[in-house]
Amino acid sequence: MAAEKGRAAKGGAAKGTASKGGKADIVHVDFAFKRELAEKIEGNLASFCYQCGACVGDCPAATYTDDFNPRMIMLKVLYGLGEELIGSESLLWECTNCYNCAERCPQDVKPVEVIISMKNMMADRGIYPEGVEKVINTFETTGRTVPMSSAVDKQRARFGLPPLPPVPMEEIQALIGPAPATGEE
Amino acid sequence: MERFAFFPGCLVPARYPAMEFAIRQSLLKLGIEIVDLEGTSCCPDPIYFKSKDKLSWLSVAARNLCLAEKTGVDLFTNCSGCTATLSEAWHLLHEDEELREKVNRRLAKIGMEWKGTSKVRHIATLVRDFVGYEKISETVVRPLDGLQVAIHYGCHLLKPSNIMKVDDPNDPSMMEDLVRALGADPVRHRKWYLCCGKACTDEDLPSNMMRDLLTTVRDEQAELLCLICPTCFGQFDHGQMRIAKLFEEDFSTPPVYYFQLLALAQGEPYENLGFERQRFKPECLKRFEIQEPVEEATS
Repeated sequence: MAAEKGRAAKGGAAKGTASKGGKADIVHVDFAFKRELAEKIEGNLASFCYQCGACVGDCPAATYTDDFNPRMIMLKVLYGLGEELIGSESLLWECTNCYNCAERCPQDVKPVEVIISMKNMMADRGIYPEGVEKVINTFETTGRTVPMSSAVDKQRARFGLPPLPPVPMEEIQALIGPAPATGEE
Repeated sequence: MERFAFFPGCLVPARYPAMEFAIRQSLLKLGIEIVDLEGTSCCPDPIYFKSKDKLSWLSVAARNLCLAEKTGVDLFTNCSGCTATLSEAWHLLHEDEELREKVNRRLAKIGMEWKGTSKVRHIATLVRDFVGYEKISETVVRPLDGLQVAIHYGCHLLKPSNIMKVDDPNDPSMMEDLVRALGADPVRHRKWYLCCGKACTDEDLPSNMMRDLLTTVRDEQAELLCLICPTCFGQFDHGQMRIAKLFEEDFSTPPVYYFQLLALAQGEPYENLGFERQRFKPECLKRFEIQEPVEEATS
């Protein structure tokens, strides 16, 4: 497993491809992509998708954009079409994380969790939208998504609230480091 | 007095301290004692940090749960995002033994172990289940009679429903009942089920969604939009200004965090509740200050 993971990571996005234009569209399933995804928490759930489409009707991202469709995303996962899913222009970030798909799925696939697991794969490759990376950095350096400051404490004092206490960062760092891409548990 | 550990998260204590003030005032009146937790971090957030590495996300969440376990009481949150992270973490650690062992190996490095003795509740669920609508009404000294309150449930209070177990995700009634307990009239607008859009990094998608949502709130002539999540609040306050400009449309729907509304109904003066810091100020609430507070809460 570790070797597979290493190879997939080195090659950048995994190599599933769909060739078009022949007599029939041929899909080369990329099992390395699927195995790497299955290593992530709940990343293996996509295997149970039978493409019913129940996830689509209530999906706000599908309602408000033309390109985001959770059933199609799960189909690409089944084929292992990694390059279409986790490239730098990934549409996975259009997911609103509302969990409607997980509510509707008769197979307990939780498409939203599979999508988050694929975001973990993007993170392993260092691909984040700028805004996302900023929030993650703030958390990893301060333990909060809104850091403490004198301005914050001044506002708190107005409501008779004590200053924000510091977060014990040595504990947080012991839990989140070293980087998960090294395979450390 | 029932005691619960308070998990404050990031947004409420740092960006919206008025909400924390209101929570502390109102819970006291409802007979809930707050146990403050030491050393909490971000939950961590279920959108960004979870997207980096679910196992690290789960480990930090488990650490926060361990801090509550040390106090020997259950934990409550004031944000739907914190509720999502901590409830899901509790559920995964409870259901998946292999994952629990992995996480506990990490926690052992800092001398902790997740045992599952402190459960997670959103504050709205806490007051519903441990105080009850009737007792909430009994603490109201300024009934918000006739106030038209649109409801925004948001996503993570209700879903995933098998983990949250809060209310029917397709037909919830909890927030309507909480609003009724203050004497106000809940308004469930047609787009009540929509997401606030904050977690989506696309630009057009959340703007169009919020425009639809605010249009239906306006059509119902609601005076404010009541919610129970600081992230949704930010979307509907700061975000509303942005989309009003974008679509050149005036929605003028002030968002109000439920516990500020509760504190006001319980007699806290309008000017103490920090509303002046909002971009859309719920000035409609000032009319309830004209009447003298009833001397004693009716029971």
